[in-house]
Amino acid sequence: MNNNKVYWKSVDQLAQSETATTFAQNEFAEKIPTTEFLGDDKVMESQTSRRDFLKYLGFSTAAATLAACEQPIIESIPYVIQPESLTPGIPSYYASTYVDGEDYASILVKTREGRPIKINAGDDARFNNSTNARAQASVLSLYDSERLRNPQIDGSAISWSDVEADLMKSIEVSLASGKQFVLLTGSIFSQSFKSVLATLRDRYSNFSHVEMDAISSSEALDTWEMLTGQRALPLLDLSGTDLIVSVGDDFLSGNSVQHIGAAYAKRRKPGKGMLRHVQVESNLSLTGSNADKRIKIKPSEQGAVLGYLVNRTTGSAGLAFEGNLSTALKAQLDDLAAEMRAAGANCLTLAGNNAKGHAHLAAAINSGSNAITMKPSYLRSGSDEKINNLMQAMKDGHVGSLIITGCNPVYSRPGFADAMSHVDHSLALCDRLDETASLCSVAAPVPHYLESWADYQPVSGELAMSQPTIQPLFDSKPAIEVLAYAAGISSSAKELSEATVVNTYGLGWSKTIHDGGANIKEGPALNADWRSRVHDGVADASKFANATASGEWELALYGNSVGAGFQSNNPWLHELPDPVTRVSWDNYLTMSAADAMKAGLVNETQSNGALNGSMVNVTLGDVTLNNVPVLIQPGQAAGSVGLAYGYGRTHAGRVANDMGINAYDLNLTAGFAAVSITAVEGEHEFASVQLGHTMMGRKIVNEVTLADYMNDASGESWNEKMTFHTLDGVKSTDEASLWTSHDHQTMNMWNMSIDLNSCVGCGACVVACHIENNVPVVGKEEIRNHRDMHWLRIDRYYSSDMDKEVATAEGLGGIEMYAKMEEPSSSPEVVFQPVMCQHCNNAPCETVCPVAATSHSREGLNHMAYNRCIGTRYCANNCPYKVRRFNWFNYIANDKFADVNPAQDDLGRMVLNPDVTVRSRGVMEKCSMCIQRIQFGKLEAKKQGRPIKDGEVTTACAQACESGAIIFGDVNDSSSAVLAAKKEARAYHLLDEIGTQPSVFYQTKVRNRA
Amino acid sequence: MPQPMRISRSLYGQIALALILIFSATQPIYGQVDIENGKKLFKTNCASCHKLDKKLIGPALGGIMERRSEEWLILWIRDNAKLRASGDADANAIFDEYNGSVMQAFPQLSTEDIQNIIAYCEEGDKKAVAVAVAPVLEAEEDPTILLLILGAFLVLFLGLLIRVKNTLKQIQGDPAMSLKDDASYLIRVLANNRRFMTFLTVVLAITFLKVLFSWMMGIGVQQSYEPIQPIAYSHKVHAGDNAIDCNYCHSSARSSRIAGIPSANVCMNCHMYIDGSEITDESGLLKYHGENSPEIAKIYAAIGWDPVDRAYIKGYEQQPIRWIRVHNLPDFAYFNHAQHVTAGKVACQTCHGPVEAMEILFQYSELTMGWCINCHRETKVKTDNGFYDEASSHGGQSINERLAARFHDASIMVEDIGGLECGKCHY
Repeated sequence: MNNNKVYWKSVDQLAQSETATTFAQNEFAEKIPTTEFLGDDKVMESQTSRRDFLKYLGFSTAAATLAACEQPIIESIPYVIQPESLTPGIPSYYASTYVDGEDYASILVKTREGRPIKINAGDDARFNNSTNARAQASVLSLYDSERLRNPQIDGSAISWSDVEADLMKSIEVSLASGKQFVLLTGSIFSQSFKSVLATLRDRYSNFSHVEMDAISSSEALDTWEMLTGQRALPLLDLSGTDLIVSVGDDFLSGNSVQHIGAAYAKRRKPGKGMLRHVQVESNLSLTGSNADKRIKIKPSEQGAVLGYLVNRTTGSAGLAFEGNLSTALKAQLDDLAAEMRAAGANCLTLAGNNAKGHAHLAAAINSGSNAITMKPSYLRSGSDEKINNLMQAMKDGHVGSLIITGCNPVYSRPGFADAMSHVDHSLALCDRLDETASLCSVAAPVPHYLESWADYQPVSGELAMSQPTIQPLFDSKPAIEVLAYAAGISSSAKELSEATVVNTYGLGWSKTIHDGGANIKEGPALNADWRSRVHDGVADASKFANATASGEWELALYGNSVGAGFQSNNPWLHELPDPVTRVSWDNYLTMSAADAMKAGLVNETQSNGALNGSMVNVTLGDVTLNNVPVLIQPGQAAGSVGLAYGYGRTHAGRVANDMGINAYDLNLTAGFAAVSITAVEGEHEFASVQLGHTMMGRKIVNEVTLADYMNDASGESWNEKMTFHTLDGVKSTDEASLWTSHDHQTMNMWNMSIDLNSCVGCGACVVACHIENNVPVVGKEEIRNHRDMHWLRIDRYYSSDMDKEVATAEGLGGIEMYAKMEEPSSSPEVVFQPVMCQHCNNAPCETVCPVAATSHSREGLNHMAYNRCIGTRYCANNCPYKVRRFNWFNYIANDKFADVNPAQDDLGRMVLNPDVTVRSRGVMEKCSMCIQRIQFGKLEAKKQGRPIKDGEVTTACAQACESGAIIFGDVNDSSSAVLAAKKEARAYHLLDEIGTQPSVFYQTKVRNRA
Repeated sequence: MPQPMRISRSLYGQIALALILIFSATQPIYGQVDIENGKKLFKTNCASCHKLDKKLIGPALGGIMERRSEEWLILWIRDNAKLRASGDADANAIFDEYNGSVMQAFPQLSTEDIQNIIAYCEEGDKKAVAVAVAPVLEAEEDPTILLLILGAFLVLFLGLLIRVKNTLKQIQGDPAMSLKDDASYLIRVLANNRRFMTFLTVVLAITFLKVLFSWMMGIGVQQSYEPIQPIAYSHKVHAGDNAIDCNYCHSSARSSRIAGIPSANVCMNCHMYIDGSEITDESGLLKYHGENSPEIAKIYAAIGWDPVDRAYIKGYEQQPIRWIRVHNLPDFAYFNHAQHVTAGKVACQTCHGPVEAMEILFQYSELTMGWCINCHRETKVKTDNGFYDEASSHGGQSINERLAARFHDASIMVEDIGGLECGKCHY
């Protein structure tokens, strides 16, 4: 180079300053921490040179590249001997019964290749042949990897013969030492189980059996036992009911023994004689949300309200209640009593808690009601008195041998852990090492209900069967077999059930199993003279009811989707938001806005769109629940707070442990009490999926009163159809379009009708959809980020006190009006609206996808091809219904979701639906209208060479809906139910004005008031 | 150069000789008997219980004439119970020897049939050597020779050109350039020519990309994939030679998305009787010297069958056969066999190729999306299915009537009823 030009980097360099010289000599401007690195002597000893390192790097890159091109060898392993009844790829269905200690349902289990993957409602007319969210989710509890796998003593595995020998020894010791041998269970309504218990009683003079229900119905049972002589609750029959008055009973939330939702929905069909529902309560329950009229009271007033209504309806005067209730409330109750008197025998009153006297007062009001049948239900039989006696006996050291199964008293009964420490020997027959089992001498696993044989008698005249649908996954043994062994009977659970079915009831075994049960001779009916005798004890009952302590704060407990906590470790139930509060993965104290403001408690939305709330300590007597988050709940009665059961588990498993607060710790067997509340420092992070609570004056959920509905059958005045003015004249939204319309007339055209009048918002459909479509569970943190993956959500809207008319009257401007509209009313009317992909025929998502990953089918469906999606998320942004869900993470493999996502372990993965793709990171997904079911249904029809029958193909949500709110079908079939629904005056499209022409339509909600 | 094949005279002679030998061997001994027919009858009626060379459920029948008379055999085969009842000592002895297992009566077989069967039993398979007639092949014109001639011409032409050029230069008085100088000069000129270099770069780049693209498009396409299976199973023997219906083994193809690999108990339906000992090699000798085929023995090992006692072993720990899957679709593509086999009436061979001729099964088709789509474009819908043809029970129009209204008389392809829609295969 002959170029001698010198370039300098800075003025300093030109001036040859010291800094510049130093910089020039050093390669890097900043000091490289080489000494730390080289200070490690071992580094220099390494045999790997830089050259080798690069060789390895190059080799591994090349190897990885080549390996990626190589197809893995996939084995295909057939059966050695294929079961005759099984065709790979075709599901088999088994009738069975779901019993988990809290719920009871007659079900149909769908299995594929020998593993249960879905629970459907039973298809025969059996008792409770509908499923709630917990019944739907129970299939995952089978594959819970936290289940106990083999019998254990102090954490070390032992054999079943050791367990049995150990048990026999403890029984003998208890006999010898004159101590009791006690069996503690949940409610027992199995004939086989009872016969084993009878043998135990005969064999061991010191044997006794105690039943307990986690959420007790003891008071109601005591009352009915006193009235009818049977410890059983009467079944309800709503067919003739015109008015339901519920005082604190949340009968629609799926926590009651009888699934009443279907009958309720049937009687709520709009038209003449539509059932009217009045709810008197403190927490805004799911049932209260569906009421036509809701009266807010404090929990302690419930007894007084019942007494007042007894006074006003039956005329058994002389009950001193009037003083306790405010004049305004009395005026409301007077109106209600007038309605009740008018309804006469067609009125049903329900009392919802376990406080002394309430059930009796309700029975007194119902003495003339035709809804109370004489048919007993045996689903609940727990006794608070007996369990208290047992705990006392344990503390006094009178119990030598204790077997616990089907309940978790250490979790749900404060003081039980202490009492257990005085018991010589305890055996837990349990599904996991829960709070109770971990304190027992021996813990041994029982099979899940999908793995075991059982027979039940839920109500008089009905036998129900549970049959295994999979081989037991672990080394478990049914509790009945262990007890039979102790009783000296060497029969398996199957043999015991078979003996009951064949010998006791004289039925055919195979047919009974196939049908999931049979009708048997009815047991003794309830004694009908209770209707006259009920009035005798009313005065006493009213005294108890009136004696309830009141205070500044009163707490009432309630159950949400997690229920009593038997399936706390099931992530699907936590991911399902509470239908009313719309908060998931938590329990919290619900409080009215006015009370919260008074107490200086706040709920604030964070900059990331998540909700934070203040925390309080709740004290009752000497028990304090610390750091309970407060959620502001419209419709909560002033001075009252609510808290859900089922949380605060410590030994349930990695999903549930240490989540939320254990409400059982307060020992509120009555269900409510006066408490004191003190604010504490700190904020709680909620995972709320809905922060906008009102409809802001829009027609999102269309509503009409029954009177208006009856006056205008055409719906023109209350369901105005949107029209567009075009060059060709005025056109309806279905006719006016910018696009060439699709050919929807030739093939099947799938439509869905959602009746907002029937939908109670329970959420069974959401869980069913989750299961059917392999929707990932994302956990609390991601829900907080509004990244929930539910294909189907149930929006909940509160009414606001502000509307356009009020604003005009008060002279408010637009901004002020809309600001006020955002606030829900303190006594809101509530509506629920299930929203899934609307399958628009002019879909905004389709037009913006750059790779045509989402496209329209001639069957009216909006298809989503996951593998084509490149994740621009334009579609989700352009979707007016906000139903598209993006996979932000690889939920099936990312460690962050290992605790919550069932698909992450080998056991949980078995629950996945093999007909639906498991989506990967970076793709959009959404409701497909269960296209796998549509395709399956069409193929079945083609295989048999016939057209599709109406109702043959249905979606998971429609199938799970007990009230029949969702109808799915082919509108090109001239007699389909969905076509009839489409023609109804109540039908409307969501956001009709934007012209998306959805395949989903809604039916206007009708409120039964003038 | 390959020559058209000719059958030599001597070969004709050999064939003729073989034929003569066969006929001369059979004709005099059995009169009008038809061994081929006998073999057929044996396979249909007898093979499930009898073999020629070894005991199965009943005794081995090879060389039966040495032990029994033809008259006795005809009576026994026609109705062995009657023969036993008549007090025939031989009949009762053999009945007792086989623990009283009853052989069915064959009243439908004529005397001639039975004679044919006996003839086959005497003769066995060995002498029925099939004569392979070598096919006469017509050799196609090979294009290589034309190319070679063309190449030679080009070289000649190039030489000529250089000659002409050098001659011209000599005429001009310049020194002649050697071929090497000439080439290096040409390269220098071209290398300095920017246009040429740009052109060359573009051509090379496009070629490279095209090669890369084709290679990458082939990733995951496993056409001709022919894995070695744990059992040397031959579709040719089963589906081809023995013409077993595909659905016999792959029974769920008609009803399910999965065609299904038969479980070992399905294999045993036949292989309880066929143990492979009778398999012959090319020379007509017993391939396994009368022992069981080691491949069929693998089925026995899987399911726990004792071929000597002819019974399933009690308490045997069964091991499934770990076949290697040949046809693999990605998880995001849904394919249903029943849709194609039952509803679409597509022959198995359309996608799987001539399976009946495959000794080792291989993936015949590409199984790419383009391949699926092409077929959906070109295949007519089987609209005679009641799904299309019948209106729903309550009246209204059938899908066929609606299709006719839309497409008139044009034939309806799968594409026309939504067979190209994403969601039909991806969900």
